[in-house]
Amino acid sequence: MSEFLADTVTLSRIQFALTAIFHMLWPVLTTGMAIYLVVIEGLWLKTRNLDYYHHARFWSKLYVLNFGIGVASGLPMAFQFGLNWAPFSEAVGDFFGSILGFEGTMAFMLEASFLGIMLFGWDRVPPLVHWLSTILVAFGANLSTFWILCANSWLQTPAGGEFINGKFVVQDYFHAIANPFMVNSFLHMFFATLETSLFVIGGISAWYIFNQRQSAFFARSLKVILVIAIAVAPLQIFIGHLSAEQVYHYQPAKLAAMEAQWETVPAGQPADWSLIALPSDRDERNYWEVKLPGVLSYLLELKPTLDQPVQGLKTWDAANRPHLVGLIYYSFRIMVAIGLFFAALMAVTVGQWLRGKLSDTAISQQKWLMGAWVLAAPLGYIAVEAGWIVRCVGRQPWIVYGELRTVESASHLPAGEVLFSLVGLTTMYSIFLIAALYFGSRIIRKGPNRELPPPRTALQPTVDIEPAQHGRDRRPLEAQQ
Amino acid sequence: MESLEPLQYFLPQVWFFILGLFLFLYVLLDGFDLGVGILSLTASSEERRSILMTSLGNVWDANETWLVLMGGSLFGAFPLAYATILNALYLPAVIMVVGLILRAVSFEFRENAENKLVWNITFGVGSFLAALGQGFALGTVFEGIHVDASGHFIGGMWDWLTWRSVLVALTLIQGYVLIGSTYLILKTTGELQQTHYKTATIATWTTLIGALFITISTPIISEQARAQLFSAPLIYVFGAVPVLGLLLIGLLLRSLQRREENTPLIYTFLIFALSFIGLGFMIFPNIIPPSITIYQAAASPSSLVFMLTFIGFLIPIVLSYNIYNYVVFRGKIVGEAE
Repeated sequence: MSEFLADTVTLSRIQFALTAIFHMLWPVLTTGMAIYLVVIEGLWLKTRNLDYYHHARFWSKLYVLNFGIGVASGLPMAFQFGLNWAPFSEAVGDFFGSILGFEGTMAFMLEASFLGIMLFGWDRVPPLVHWLSTILVAFGANLSTFWILCANSWLQTPAGGEFINGKFVVQDYFHAIANPFMVNSFLHMFFATLETSLFVIGGISAWYIFNQRQSAFFARSLKVILVIAIAVAPLQIFIGHLSAEQVYHYQPAKLAAMEAQWETVPAGQPADWSLIALPSDRDERNYWEVKLPGVLSYLLELKPTLDQPVQGLKTWDAANRPHLVGLIYYSFRIMVAIGLFFAALMAVTVGQWLRGKLSDTAISQQKWLMGAWVLAAPLGYIAVEAGWIVRCVGRQPWIVYGELRTVESASHLPAGEVLFSLVGLTTMYSIFLIAALYFGSRIIRKGPNRELPPPRTALQPTVDIEPAQHGRDRRPLEAQQ
Repeated sequence: MESLEPLQYFLPQVWFFILGLFLFLYVLLDGFDLGVGILSLTASSEERRSILMTSLGNVWDANETWLVLMGGSLFGAFPLAYATILNALYLPAVIMVVGLILRAVSFEFRENAENKLVWNITFGVGSFLAALGQGFALGTVFEGIHVDASGHFIGGMWDWLTWRSVLVALTLIQGYVLIGSTYLILKTTGELQQTHYKTATIATWTTLIGALFITISTPIISEQARAQLFSAPLIYVFGAVPVLGLLLIGLLLRSLQRREENTPLIYTFLIFALSFIGLGFMIFPNIIPPSITIYQAAASPSSLVFMLTFIGFLIPIVLSYNIYNYVVFRGKIVGEAE
């Protein structure tokens, strides 16, 4: 144990993994929810139905709670590259650093600046300008996803230059940005954030309907997200499939870990798909497993027999392949299972809708269906975390795939320093998670304020230049005089 | 390759300037933000704290983003400096990040909490810690960072903690309190505004005393600084800075005396700008003081051009919508609206 606590590299790895896992929870919701807020506010502007306006105000409360913690937990991520991974920063800063710079300038600043207007500007700008602000917030958030995924997929398939004397020298920036993994990685994450948010919004709406609170009002948000989910849930499965195919071509060792495949399946033979297994890193085999014959060949190449071999983990020296095979194997299966479940739930619900069972009066009878939606609410988070474990633990021992090892990339810091920050972050994050769940559930239990009058500017064509009411709190004594 | 050479001088200088701009905007904007946070610890009632936090609600996030921009651009433009400086400043950076985190969550949690006191304190303490971490970082810049010939950090874990860095940190905190006070003078009315005329006056004096100590002690202690300060043509710059600084402080104190509303903030801005320019001249052309220059730490010219194409083009756009945000929310805070 003391050896472990004295190992800076291990501590830095744990710290990065912990920060990433925690940080991910918040933007994954806000990025997708921003798109929903654009849609719902657009519906308000189009129909002038106050329900949509009250939806926009209600969900933006949950939005901002998540956004604040997302920003807070993202800061250590931005700094850790220099703090804990200085050799890495130096080696790839030329490209990787530029991309993070773009994320800040293009995306995050846009989101942060227009968020103020989106949250507090209802009475200060005309409705169309407000809607434009919401659109820019959503655009900024998704542009962030683009740049972050661009940086990460470059780590998976480094392109556009070469390592010279341990430093990455870029020869073609556009090639580096459009690296082989980039498009599918971005789309997969874009749909993941959207899907997670849709099922959170759907789950919360279903909770109200389940409890017969404002059923008609929340049937509206459920239907809005259903319309979006009809497109998103199947597309995500398709993009996920394309991503797995890419791993097969570019990172065969990761694919072998995802499938707990120790022995190579040669070309010209069918490959079995493992459903459940108990893999052992030490003995380099699965203690037992349930296999579906021939399924993997279909999944990878849509053929009964393979054109290319599926390489087994033993192909690589133990030092050059991912460890924690069981973690990667099960994370992958959990992610896939949740994706399929989402599509099925969406299909069943749409079926009920078409049969007229989701009308304002009938919907609260759909107890089991609403119950399933409530249970589905946290699943998106689990799928996203599992997916990132597959992606990044599966890439090990490389930080830049095939080029730079993780152990060579850690700063030479006194272990005590890293331990100090690790303990501090863990403590804070635990408190924040509890507080966020508590305050989030309070917002939900309290419900929307449907008394809220529409913004004053809705009736006036120009910007209101009266002094200010952009506060959130009670009127101060000074101002009452 | 001949033709590349002017670029190898010109581009790092451009990026030094851009990073300086980002850092300056950060210090100015998050400076008043942090200052208001620190002042909230002294607020006498819940109503007052509410106003203080409301005055930041729509801007804190964008203000803090300048730091993210600065970090990202430093990483891209001067990877060596990014790695070495953060290595040297591990603990101050952690203190700052922890402070900023506490601040950010306090906004959201306080909003929803029944017992607001806990989150009020977290907010104030977070602001203080963030300012403290930044102050130590600035102090370390004055002291210099121990590096080997290739620019890697070789100093110790506590290098950043000296009596002078403590002094610099306290002065920066005073400066933030000053700019926070003058911001609140602009945004509030009545008794609260009167209180901040007082805090602004006190902070002006404490900042001045700290700044004088730093200005006088730097050339006495550091040989390098002495050599740089007293050689032509920079001697004129360093001669002008204190004179202009004292003039501005005089104007600031007079405007506070006369209970003017807008000018104290403007004079404070100018004082910050002046100190910043002085600091910039003192450091340039180094980026890891005292010895590693921007030319040694810079990314490849092609990378600098590539970043410049995107980021340089965006700077005016980013500035304009930030200004728009301030225009939309101009005027006094009178309190509630959902």
